[in-house]
Amino acid sequence: MFIQTIITGLSIGSVYALMAVGYSLVFSVLNFSNFAHGAIITLGAYIAWAVMVHYLQVPFFPALLLSMGGAGILAFLNERIAYSTLRRRRAPSLYLMISAMGVAISLQNLLYATIGAKLYALPPVFAMDVVHIGDLTISKMDIFAFVFSALTIAVLHLILIRTKVGVAIRAAAHDMEMVSVLGVNLDVLVGVLFFLAGSLGGMAGVFMGVKYMVYPSMGWITNKAYIGAVIGGLGSLPGAIVGGLLLGLLEALVSVSSLGGTSLSTYRDVFSFGILVILLIFKPTGFFGRHVEDKL
Amino acid sequence: MAYLEAILINVAIYAIATLGLAIFTGYTGLFSLGHAAFMAVGAYAASILTYFYKVPFLIALLVGVVLSVLVSFLIGYPTLRARLRSDYFAIATLGFGEAVKVILENFDLTQGARGLPGIQKFSTLGNAFLLLAVAVILCRNFLRTTYGRKIIAIGQDPVAAEMIGIPLLSNQLLSLGISAGLAGLAGGLLAHYTTFIQPSIFSMDLSSLITAGVVCGGMGSLTGPVTAVALFVIIPELFRGFALWRLVFYGMLLVIIINWRPRGLFGYEELNRKNLPKLFSIVGITGGLSLFMPTYRWVIESRGYEIFALFVAGVTVGAVTGLFGLLGKGLSLALAPVAERYHSVRSRLGKRLTGLGEENEQALSSIKEHRFRETAPSKKVCPSDATFLAGKAADSKEGLFSGDPNAERGARSAGQHIESIGDAESGGPTYYRETSPILEVRELRKNFGGVVAVDGFSFYLNKGELLGLIGPNGSGKTTVFNLISSVYPVDGGTILFQDKDITEWGPTEVVGAGIARTFQNIRLFGSMTVLENVQAALHREGTYSLLEGFLQWPRSVPRVERRLRDESRRLLSIVGLEKESDRRASTLPYGLQRKLEIARALALRPRLLLLDEPAAGMNPREASELVELIQRIHRDEDLSIILIEHHMDVVMSLCPRILVLNFGRLIAEGTPEQIQGNPLVLQAYLGEKAYAVVR
Repeated sequence: MFIQTIITGLSIGSVYALMAVGYSLVFSVLNFSNFAHGAIITLGAYIAWAVMVHYLQVPFFPALLLSMGGAGILAFLNERIAYSTLRRRRAPSLYLMISAMGVAISLQNLLYATIGAKLYALPPVFAMDVVHIGDLTISKMDIFAFVFSALTIAVLHLILIRTKVGVAIRAAAHDMEMVSVLGVNLDVLVGVLFFLAGSLGGMAGVFMGVKYMVYPSMGWITNKAYIGAVIGGLGSLPGAIVGGLLLGLLEALVSVSSLGGTSLSTYRDVFSFGILVILLIFKPTGFFGRHVEDKL
Repeated sequence: MAYLEAILINVAIYAIATLGLAIFTGYTGLFSLGHAAFMAVGAYAASILTYFYKVPFLIALLVGVVLSVLVSFLIGYPTLRARLRSDYFAIATLGFGEAVKVILENFDLTQGARGLPGIQKFSTLGNAFLLLAVAVILCRNFLRTTYGRKIIAIGQDPVAAEMIGIPLLSNQLLSLGISAGLAGLAGGLLAHYTTFIQPSIFSMDLSSLITAGVVCGGMGSLTGPVTAVALFVIIPELFRGFALWRLVFYGMLLVIIINWRPRGLFGYEELNRKNLPKLFSIVGITGGLSLFMPTYRWVIESRGYEIFALFVAGVTVGAVTGLFGLLGKGLSLALAPVAERYHSVRSRLGKRLTGLGEENEQALSSIKEHRFRETAPSKKVCPSDATFLAGKAADSKEGLFSGDPNAERGARSAGQHIESIGDAESGGPTYYRETSPILEVRELRKNFGGVVAVDGFSFYLNKGELLGLIGPNGSGKTTVFNLISSVYPVDGGTILFQDKDITEWGPTEVVGAGIARTFQNIRLFGSMTVLENVQAALHREGTYSLLEGFLQWPRSVPRVERRLRDESRRLLSIVGLEKESDRRASTLPYGLQRKLEIARALALRPRLLLLDEPAAGMNPREASELVELIQRIHRDEDLSIILIEHHMDVVMSLCPRILVLNFGRLIAEGTPEQIQGNPLVLQAYLGEKAYAVVR
């Protein structure tokens, strides 16, 4: 039973990690919490729903690619419309965050206003298939989500390490000014960054949609992945992965435990937010975040 | 009529909540995204009291307010104490808001997610607007006190605020407390108007509506956010068919405002005669647009021509917009004489109320005169200094040095023993050394990661001395200032000021001890006026209580405020800025901003003044004016000064003794002549190779 819970936790945690990586990527370079990422994730899930269920009957993998691409483009547009002016003006990061919040509110309610608050299911990819290992029953979708998330993050890591753009992104995370002085086109760099973050978000959205449902508030500002990213340390990729997995595990464990007869599952969210607030107070940079100090 | 009443009550309730957020976010610059939680606390506390315990409405409201304030301290104390980055703070409040919601959903007394139905309807148009008016007046009063100025200063520049002795935590908490109290009040009113509350009402949507109100209405304004949120409540009622799109537009508006008009509707100003036309045109445009669809439909129904209908609807929109625009302009013009009249009556009334009649004013001016006479410079030049002056007269204006500070002070403090350390061999300049140093720094150390910024630096500063601190870029000069004024913790060594060990003191305590500073990169409170910048620094001399401040108590507040204003004007006149006092500080030219920094530092009544590159970016004329100014304040205000400066003429003409720092170490000390001839100094500035060539 315990191991079963751990496996469930790791599976959902890996999807959280995939989402958290998107927050961290953007934070590492632009130093602000991109709340709109949640909305991009949601839109990614809706794209999959549109092509798999609503308009066409596209199979799972092409649909996954489509929503990754679509979400990437949306994230790119989001940056162009809502952040690029502020970025060029070197506005305080708080302004960028407010702008992101505006986008998140707008997009979520756009979904409510157009498609509605109804929950939609994505077709089950592996039906109800389960694998039996001893006493354990593990759904194939869980395994698939875990493996695929891990693979994608590995690919992202390779992109950041091996490619020219990746190196530029990592350099920009240290000193954006210097990178631009060295002749890197910041607009292109930030565009690529948002496309990457967006497509990862799109993929995460599809997984979330398959596992749970597709609904407008699935990626709302207060989603678990964001909390995971903060716990791991915003701006750090390993941090996002660890934070996401940790939160997934914690959530799974809290859901099945009880304290003095009352099930803790109703307080699951209080736990996440409680951890968030406590961690911000005692270690605002999370586990892996870097410390940024202002110069006088 | 009931419909109109409903809208107006909603306007009042949301306006109170937004006013609350405005006084926190708008002035401290910290975003709270969990303000709905404070509303929830107020709403639940008040409704439980009136519902289960039949407590009178006003008392229940008050309990709700108090409880909200207490809860805000609970979340505010740890987060503000930790000095989170502003965006981390916003996230923490967001998490807190969600946590409160979940707790309410699972709590027995609050009946969980089902909510509390059947609360009695106590909120009326009358009491809602009365409370709104009271709230606006109290907030306005508050901002016009030293307490309010402290909060505004923190929002403008927390570091500079701390460096003028304003403690951050207590003032931010005060602001958060007021803010949460108002939110709690709004929550209580809301509960007793809707008669039914449940946790989901107090969601992020509500928080973001209030936040949008503050951002769009303008940070640093009270009436702006109130007006904006009123529009937010009223406008959707005009576009009935688009109820679901309401939040879509708020979100878009947030993006647009923060990107292209960050100061919002009335940022850093209040609703006044001059911006009335702006408000009227906004109302006109939205009102006009709301008539578009009805007109269009009406024409279609009666005539049927689509183009004609479009035309009529368009004309209607234009006409309404234009009409409102004209109305706004007309009203603004018509109000001009009224406003003038109001101001004159107010000032006359104010004088009578404060009891500051003509006699008092005379007394005040005579005090000022007296002080002026006392501090008037005596043109006495000490003979032994003449030799020093002779050496420097070549490159500086004559008469600049009349009334040498050391000599005068030496004569005044008769009890103190003065020894003259002359460089007998060179027969050159002489400087004084009083036996009691005001500041003594021993073996000061500071590392930044692997970089050693200050490496065992020791020096002393005598009472009344004007010490120069020079060195190449990156030699650790500013770091020394930052360590003395406790911007950074010290890694090693001790700092003694007036024989007290201040090494471990916090920034505000250091200021309290009598050390003031200016900044290399100017750090003024940009959106405050020049006068307010100095007034903010006089915060310790505002001797009335917070309650008196809220009420603008006529027996105490106006008198103290007048004294602060006069004192600020006097300080401004010292640096020659009295004519600019009503100008916004950020609009001052560079040189004057530096002078304002000096005036602000003087307002702290320092014994020791740390000037960090006061002449940076000044032309030779401005620099020589500055030299004159520094000498004047050094003499008149009885100050000890340490001066960091790259303009060598300035340092050489001002400072009888100069320290040279390189790589965080003292490499030379002496009179200007000794420094100018010191090979180590030349080497440090020019580099070894260039020095070899020069030599």
